[in-house]
Parts: sequence; structure tokens; C-alpha cells
Amino acid sequence: MNLKSNVIPTWCPGCNDYLLMSGIDQALSQLDIKKENIVLVFDIGCIGNMADFFSTYGIHTLHGRCLPTALGVKLHNPKLTVIAIGGDGGIYGEGLNHLIATARGNYDIKVLVANNQLYSLTTGQTSPTTPKGSKTKSTPLGSVSVPVDAVALVKTANADVMAKSIDGRQPKEIIDSIKEAVSTPGFALLDFRQVCVTFGKQLNS
Amino acid sequence: MGKYTTVKIAGPAGFGIKTSGQLLSEILLAHGQQLIDYSEYPSLVRGGHNTYQVTFSSRQVFSVFQQVDIFFSISPGHYQSHLSEFNSSSVIFYDEDKPVKSSKSTYISLPLRKLSEAIGSQNFRNTICLGVACFCLNLDPEIAKKIISHKFALTEKENLAAFDIGYGFAQQNCSNSRLIHESYIINHKSVLKLYDGNEAYGWGFLAAGGNFFAAYPMTPASGALHFLAQKQQSHHIQVHHPEDEIAAASMVAGAAFAGARVATGTSGGGFALMTETVSFAGVANLPIVFYLVSRPGPATGLPTWTAQGDLLFAVNSGHGEFPIIVLAPGSQQETFEFSALSLNLAAKFNLPVIVISDKTVGESGASIADLSGKKVKQIISSKPIPGTPSHEYLANSYEHDDQGYSIEDSATVKKMVEKRLALIPKILKTLPKANFYGTPDAKKLIVTWGSPVGAILQALEGQTDYAVLQIRSVWPIDPDIKKFFAFTKDITVIENNATSQLTSLLKSQFDFNPSKIILKYDGRPFFPEEIRQQLGINHKS
Repeated sequence: MNLKSNVIPTWCPGCNDYLLMSGIDQALSQLDIKKENIVLVFDIGCIGNMADFFSTYGIHTLHGRCLPTALGVKLHNPKLTVIAIGGDGGIYGEGLNHLIATARGNYDIKVLVANNQLYSLTTGQTSPTTPKGSKTKSTPLGSVSVPVDAVALVKTANADVMAKSIDGRQPKEIIDSIKEAVSTPGFALLDFRQVCVTFGKQLNS
Repeated sequence: MGKYTTVKIAGPAGFGIKTSGQLLSEILLAHGQQLIDYSEYPSLVRGGHNTYQVTFSSRQVFSVFQQVDIFFSISPGHYQSHLSEFNSSSVIFYDEDKPVKSSKSTYISLPLRKLSEAIGSQNFRNTICLGVACFCLNLDPEIAKKIISHKFALTEKENLAAFDIGYGFAQQNCSNSRLIHESYIINHKSVLKLYDGNEAYGWGFLAAGGNFFAAYPMTPASGALHFLAQKQQSHHIQVHHPEDEIAAASMVAGAAFAGARVATGTSGGGFALMTETVSFAGVANLPIVFYLVSRPGPATGLPTWTAQGDLLFAVNSGHGEFPIIVLAPGSQQETFEFSALSLNLAAKFNLPVIVISDKTVGESGASIADLSGKKVKQIISSKPIPGTPSHEYLANSYEHDDQGYSIEDSATVKKMVEKRLALIPKILKTLPKANFYGTPDAKKLIVTWGSPVGAILQALEGQTDYAVLQIRSVWPIDPDIKKFFAFTKDITVIENNATSQLTSLLKSQFDFNPSKIILKYDGRPFFPEEIRQQLGINHKS
């Protein structure tokens, strides 16, 4: 089954997003879900640009809104496999209330977050998961806030849902976690820890 | 008493002002009457000053009147702010500790607190008033009691007792104030029913196959959410109340992509949050209906009052340039029609459609023919639906090519912008035409949109000098409308806002120079008496 489009990915050489795209592709292929029943719903950001690289039904939504949009798809047609894909900015920042609401409802939406601790498509500003004190373009004096612990936050909102943090550089972990999430009914958050190859160097380490 | 009778009930929130008012309206419907009602209430749950008024007649009613024929003050102190609404034929029932002396109107002491002692509760004062009203209006008490019994399952006994107390009081004390209405037609199966604009919106949504509604509560639009939420099981629809208006709009966007016929509803503040989705629907070609029920702004403004201050906001909502449709119903019946039509237009053109109403129509009841079983022929969107093999595509918020993939090259960008805008002439051909009332021989033209048309038509009853143009498709504007501006120079614009937004809109399209502009922006709707006064028409109805 070919889920990819003919569009050549535009990410930086060495970007972890290639691994996530490959993981989604392989997990869905191995699970043998009919292509027409897959809906991928993307947020805005580097990872959101993956929208163009697949050829399934897809929505490239507005920044922060991939979860309520995905929920609308799923509620109207529960037979579809609905996967929301975004970054730490969209899912933990602009759309954080949607993450909590979707987890509380335990809706059957799989949320994949490419968490590189930065806004990278906008050239490197602080994000909700940037380590405290990091000097970024928007926080030259150091970021003030402690980072969001998304897995703990989602578990607090609803202890019954799946929420996991995964090394975003490990292809097998990526594929296995997506397969597990998609084959388990209910809400799932998969937080993929990534490093931005271009703007990540400025983070506090 | 003229051809129209107006009854008004006032008192603190929590005394069932609207409940008893609507019961009176139902009793009037069972007597073959037509009517419009109107409620005023502050943004609180108990106390304050609430009113319900209904104007009825054996002929069609377009608007409530400001002048009241029968008035009930359900608690002490609730008639004093209405003195300007009373005239020589008004009868005012009050419950004050001291008698009221007036040479202007008839005041009758109705000791509601004392009369309530026989029931053992002060909670039925409203139904006592209903008994008095039914006697004074010469309405059949048996029909009234049947309607009361039907309404109150748990407190039927107390309410019937309260009704009898009121009716008996009026028999003894009000025979001089009895209004003889000659044209009652007792009809046990009432042909007309009472619908407010929000309910009419809901019935229109169902009639045209609407099946997914998501909204966040906001007065005065919440009525549509409540109505449709109650219909989920009987009509197999989904209604959702998500975490905020942004989520509501995004949710219906997703459901529309999945093939649902969708709408969301809100007022100005909520719509402000939804405008990003208006734009998204515009570029991703998602058929979404936004039911916008205006109240006065800015910001939180006056939550429970009325205004037409969001016309230009609706027309210009959504960043970027793309076609949208904005329909403006002027009545509850039109709200039903435009609700159904909006789903079809959204599906036909795959774009956002806004139905802009206001509290005046949204929350006021009107007697209209039964809407409950109506069906409207559905236009189905041509978009592929997920689950269909070999038709996969991307709905994209980025500028994109025909397959949905993002593009940035000059030629394709230009092509896609032009492709979207090329829809406008096709849209114009399908939109509802303006309503023109009067003859082309009329010397004067009134131009309006939305709710004021009711008060205007009521004010102009019997006038042949005036014609009225009610613009119903406020965006895009039909270029042919200009022919109406040619036949007279005496043009008056009437709208319920402070800056005459319709004038601005028409000036942006036509050589439009109204000779007079009548505006109202105090949170209240227009009343026919005010319009007659402002137009200099003799005060007589």
C-alpha cells in the first residue's frame, strides 16, 4: 500500500521528522488499514508540512486546531482511523486546551507530537517545552517558564488514556508505539522527543 | 382598542414572566390569533426586572407595539419604568401597598401577594395574572386551562387554582375593562405555532438534512444549541458543546470534511474567535454554516439585548480574500428558510455561509405555520468523502493546487485566487432577492435589512407613499439592487446600529445617497410607534 505522495519532503537534512513520517507510513501499512479509511489531520509547523508528503485523506488545519478538527472527522464517521500530527507549539501551546479536552473525552484520536522543544519553522523561538532559561530568538534574556510535561498533564486530565514519551530518533520505537496506539481504542498521546538540527543548538543543555 | 392588542407582564426574574407570557400566546393561538412576542431581561438569574410582551391580532402581526393595552406588575415596583408605554386606553394591574391615582390610564389594584395566600405559595402570581388576562381578553377559560394543564405536569393543581383565582377576581372587579374581540376563531387544533428565531433556525437545519451542530453557549444564540441538543435522538443528529468557540468551529470543519452537513451558532464575541475558521473554510472549501445572533458590543457588551452592529464584521470576517455568503433573515419564518438554504448554498459552493440574525428575531416568538415536519430538497456537496476509495485529497489551509497540495509559484497562486473569486457571479444568481414591499409608484423608499423590517412594515400599514426594500442577501450584494435606488431621491435607511453599516456597505458598491438615516443603538429593537414618529406619520393605529 502506497500512502506517500509524489511531493519531495522539504525538511532539513538530518531532521527527525523523516523518521516520524517513515514510522507513520510503516505502522499504518503493517496494520493493513484501508487507505481510504485513514484521515491524517495536521497542525502547522515543520511537522505539519508532512501533509503534502502523504496521499491519504488529509486536512492541513490551522495552527493549534488539529485536535478539534480531527475530532469532528472522527465523531461524524467513527469507522475512520484519525491521526492528529503536530508539534509542541501547536499541540502544547496554541491548542493546549484542545489536548486536555480531547483527552478528557477519551475520544478515539491518536495524537502524534514532534516535540523538538522549539518553534522551528518560524526560525527558532521558545516553545512550551523549551527548557527554562533557554536563550532563543524570542527570549534573548532566557525563557522564564518551566516546560510543559505533556504526558503527566494528559494523565492528570484523564488517567485512563494512553500517553507516552518516545525517543524520536529510534525508528523501531516510533513504529511500535504508533501501531500500539492505533490498535488500542481511545485517546492516545505519543510525544516524540526530537532535536532540531538547525535551531536546537541554542537550547540550554 | 385597535386591530392590535398588546399585553405586557413585568416583574423580577424567577417569577415565570416568560412562561406565563408564552402560555398566554399559546392560548391566543388557540383562539385563531396571530402574534409576535418580545422579552426583555437583564443578565442575571434571580431578581432584576424582566418583561414579556405580546401583540396579537386576527390579521398578520409583524412587530410588537410599544404602547400597552393591558399591563401586569407581578411584584410591587415593576410598572413605574413603563409609564411612557401607557395611554388613555391602557389598563394597568398593580400590587402596591397604596392605591395608584392616575388621570391618564386605568389602574386596577390586583393584590397578587394576598391572593396567593389561598394557594399557600407566592410562586403562582404569574398564573393568577393569566386568569385575569383571559377574562379581560374574553378568552375561553376552558381552553386556557387545558393549555395550562398540558404545560405543568408537577404543579398542575396549583396553577389551575391560581388561574381560577385570577379569573374570578377579574369577573368581580374588571367587567368595565373587558376587551371585546369580535374575531376569535376557536380552533382546537391550532394551525399556527409559536416559534422564536432560534427554534426556527433549528427546524430549518433539520429540514435541510443538517446532522452535525457544535456550539459554545452564548446569549442570544444558545436557543439554537438547546433546541438541537434536544433533537439528537429523535432526528439522529449530533450536537456537541466543546471547550470553546474555536473548537466548535474547528469541529464542524472536521465533520464537514468527513461529509456531515454542519453548522455552528454564536453571538459576536464567539464569532470573533471563529473568524479564523471562516477563513480556513474559505480556502479549504469546507461547507460550514455560521449562525450569528447579534447582541450589542463591543466586547461582552449587553448580553441579553439586541443590536445589528455586526453586519460589516460578518461581511468582512475571515482574513484574506475569498467568497463568503451572508444571509440576513428579517423574521422567524425567514430564519427557517435561510437556515435550510444556508446548508444548501454551503454544499453547492463549498464555502462558509453566515446567517446573521439578532436577539430581536432570535429570541422573539412569532406565530407561523407548523415547521416540525418540513423537508427541504438537499443540495449535496461534490467533495469526496473519506472512506471512498481512490478519491483521497488534502483539505489545506495553505494555498494549494487542485489536488490540495501546497504551492507557492506565482502562476498557480494567481490561478487559485481567481478560481475562488470567479464563484461570486455564480453565487449571486442563486441568492435570495431583496424583498420589495409597496408599489413602484411609491414616492419614498425605506431601505433596511434584518429585524427592523417587522416594525417598519407594521408602522407603514395603510401607507401608500412608502415602499420598503429589505436586503436579504447582504453579501455578496446583488448589483441589480441599484434599480430600486433610481426611482426616488427620498430614501431612508433604517437599522438597529449606531453607524448605519448598511449605508456603508451600499456606498461601497453603488452611488447610494440616502436622504435620511434612522438608527437605534440602545439595546432595544425598533417599535412601530417610533418609526411612525421619526417618519412624521400621524400616530394612529
